[in-house]
Order: sequence, then structure tokens, then C-alpha cells
Amino acid sequence: MTPLIDGASEDAVGSGQPQYEAWLFQTMLDELTVSELGIGFIYSVLDELVKRYALNDAVVILSHDSFGAQMFRAGGQAISVDLASRLGTAPGVYCDPDIVPNVERDAVRTACQLSLSLHLARFSAAHDALTNIANRRTFDSALQASCVRSSRYGWAFTLVLADLNGFKAINDSLGHAIGDDLLRQFGLAMRRSVRSGDVAARIGGDEFAVILSNADGHDSSGFTDRLRSHLGSARELVGFTIGTASSPRDSTDPAELFRIADARLYEKKGINHR
Amino acid sequence: MMSPTEEDFELELRSLSGVMNVEIRHRENGDVDAVTLITHGQDPSAIRVMATQIVNLYYTDASVIVEDASRALAPRDIQAVRVALVRAEFHAESGNCDVELSYSGKTGYGRAGSGQLFGGAEATLAALRDLGYSLPFYLLTVISVATVRGWPVIVTMRPFADGADMFGIAQADDDVTSSAMATLDALNRFLSKDISTD
Repeated sequence: MTPLIDGASEDAVGSGQPQYEAWLFQTMLDELTVSELGIGFIYSVLDELVKRYALNDAVVILSHDSFGAQMFRAGGQAISVDLASRLGTAPGVYCDPDIVPNVERDAVRTACQLSLSLHLARFSAAHDALTNIANRRTFDSALQASCVRSSRYGWAFTLVLADLNGFKAINDSLGHAIGDDLLRQFGLAMRRSVRSGDVAARIGGDEFAVILSNADGHDSSGFTDRLRSHLGSARELVGFTIGTASSPRDSTDPAELFRIADARLYEKKGINHR
Repeated sequence: MMSPTEEDFELELRSLSGVMNVEIRHRENGDVDAVTLITHGQDPSAIRVMATQIVNLYYTDASVIVEDASRALAPRDIQAVRVALVRAEFHAESGNCDVELSYSGKTGYGRAGSGQLFGGAEATLAALRDLGYSLPFYLLTVISVATVRGWPVIVTMRPFADGADMFGIAQADDDVTSSAMATLDALNRFLSKDISTD
């Protein structure tokens, strides 16, 4: 595999216009019929490139502000340390044999870069950056949808709010790095504790929420037991308090359900919260 | 086509600091068998811990392999002394292995008839002699081992004089190529010491 010169081709520079490849857009459209543009699209484009030119191999190296250098190989194959070392980290499309025109490589690289950025933007918009669980926006939307289903079909679910005890004191005394790590561990424990179909979210600084599908209030004990178990050593540093509310039993209105769970949480904490 | 879950899974792994490439290997039934991460410039053991936590969230049975690209030789160093494998073939009808190597524009040929594993390694040594090298060690063992990633071949060579054994490991589509590559893997470490040819 020969590293190729990166940058715009002479054709593209000469015309002053970006060059478009029909097959690239067809691949994009094909991908959009089954998914949104993301990492899967990058592999589809590389596979298509290999097929079109009967290549032995193709690798695209992208650069991302958050991720640094990223390598993708046709067929989702591993890139050996030897190959990674030979290719380096300069963005570009590398083909074996080196027969793909510059203009086509530029187009592939641009499409792949766009796709990676889109995937990350979509992921970031829906997830909390520290814990990688759902963020407040995703949670609100999921709670709304669950309440509608509960109201219309009578499907039961339980809203669990969890609040870390004395988190501010830990943050102040041990530092924000330890505090962030604790939040990460709590987020990880939540992800390990929920079942498929449940939604775990970080909805505030040290406030978390879970929507337990097909569960009424009594079923949340299983979740809290799993959460305690998965917290592991972090339990020695921090505890948590939960408040629950079930739909349709308590309410089918998202705001009211949240208010009830919140009130129960603060009641357990012994705080009069209004 | 990847599912949105698989895409998010790979994105999470790639978001770990220093991870450059992710390979997800599946079993025949579609379950994820192993995840290989190529990293650069970060502590591989720290990445392995974080990656294992993420992998276990999605696929509880999958193993995690972390390889550090920054430990490989720099490209200039490799080009300076590297012997490249051009061809390695096993001929079932004759039982012979043919190996062709190139080094600094020269080509060397070797042939041996001891099966794919030993034959591949012996033919590689013969090709090196054809290139003009006098190699002060002999072939000790050639074995194929089962790993989660397939059947790599390990070649061991022992110096005639005192010194540590040399090991090489490689995995290709067939045993003869794996054996030739593993022999070169061991020899390239020796050759990178810049010994001169006869």
C-alpha cells in the first residue's frame, strides 16, 4: 500500500470547483435508506471503492478535533501496527494498488470526514459527554413518549430519579477530577444496571434518571440493587438516594410524574423540597 | 451494513484517547467475538481497562485486544533494512515451498520441501542466502497456535554462538505465507542491527 499525496488534485485545483462522483452519492443514498450517515457509511464507501477498482486494500485516515487521527480499512479489517506505522497519521485515502485518481480520493475522503463528523454530532446531541448516557434532551423526549404510550395503551413504566449524596462536598474536598471520575463511574454503573429498552440519563450535575419500561413502582428495587452492586468501590466514596413514580398509577403527565418522583427523592433525603 | 448500535459502539471506542482503529470480529452466529484497538502514544493498559468496560456493556463475552502502533519501528528505520516478502507458495503436487524476497532492489529465491510450516521457514532462509546473507543461526521450531484471532505461526531461531533465541510471529491467509512472514519478523530484528552481507 503506497501512501499517496494528500490534498486537492490538479483537476480540482484547475477548475476551482469541487469534483463530485456519482457512485459516491449513490452509496450515500443507499446508506441513507437503511441508516443515517455514520461510521457504517465510511466502510460502505471503502468497500465500494475496492470493488470499483478491484483493489486489494483501501484505508482512509481522517482527522478529528476531538478524536485525533482515525483510520478505517475496507471490510472493517484491523490495521496492523506495522501498517499503521507505515501509513502515519496524515489524512488521506491510501490504496493498494495505487490506481485511484486524486479527484476520486479527495471526494471519498471528504465524504468520510463529513460522515464521521455527522455521527459524532448526532451522538453528542443525544448523549451526555461525561458519562455517555442519554442527556436531558433525550430523556425529556423519551419520558414524553413513554407517558403517551402509558396514557393511550396503559403500558406501565417507572421513572427513577437518583441523586448522589454529598457530591458537592466530594467535589470541593477531593477536586473536580475525582468528582468527574465518580460521575463517570456512576454513569457506567447505570448503563450496566438497566435492561434493554430502558433509558438511563444524566439530567443535571449529579442528578440521574432512568425510565424502566414495563415496570411499576415495586419493580425498581431490582434496578437499585443492580446499581449498588455495579457501583463497586465507588460506593465507598459516595451513596445515592432515589425517588420513583409510576405511570399510569401516579400520573401520565411527564411534568407531574417528574414532580412526584422528585418530591419522594427529597423526602427520603429528609429535605423539604418545594 | 452496520446497525446504529454497532456504529455507536465503534464510535464510543474511537472516542477513547489515542484509539486510531477498531476491528470488530464476529462469530459465525453473528455475536461479537473480539475487539481489536490500534492505539498511538497512550498507555495501552489504561485504554484496555476503559475499552473493556465499554465492550462489556454491549457484548459481555467479547475479548479486547489492544495494540500500540507507536511501538513499531519508525518508517525510515523500516525502509533502511527491511527484507520484503514478494511471494510464498506451497505446491501440493511436489510438496515444495517457494519463497521470493527482495532487499534493496535485489531478489532472492529459496525452495524447501518440508511441508508448509517448516518448508516456508527453510525456503525463506534459503532465499536470504540467495540474497547474499550469511546467517549465524539455525531454525529451531515452527509452530502454529490457536488464538482468538486465528492461527498465527511462531518461528524460533537459535544462534550458533551464545545469545538469546529469536522469535517471530505472523498470520496470513495460508501457513506457508505465515511461516515466511514469521521468519522475516524474527530476521528483520536481527537485520535491523545493520549487519553487513557477505
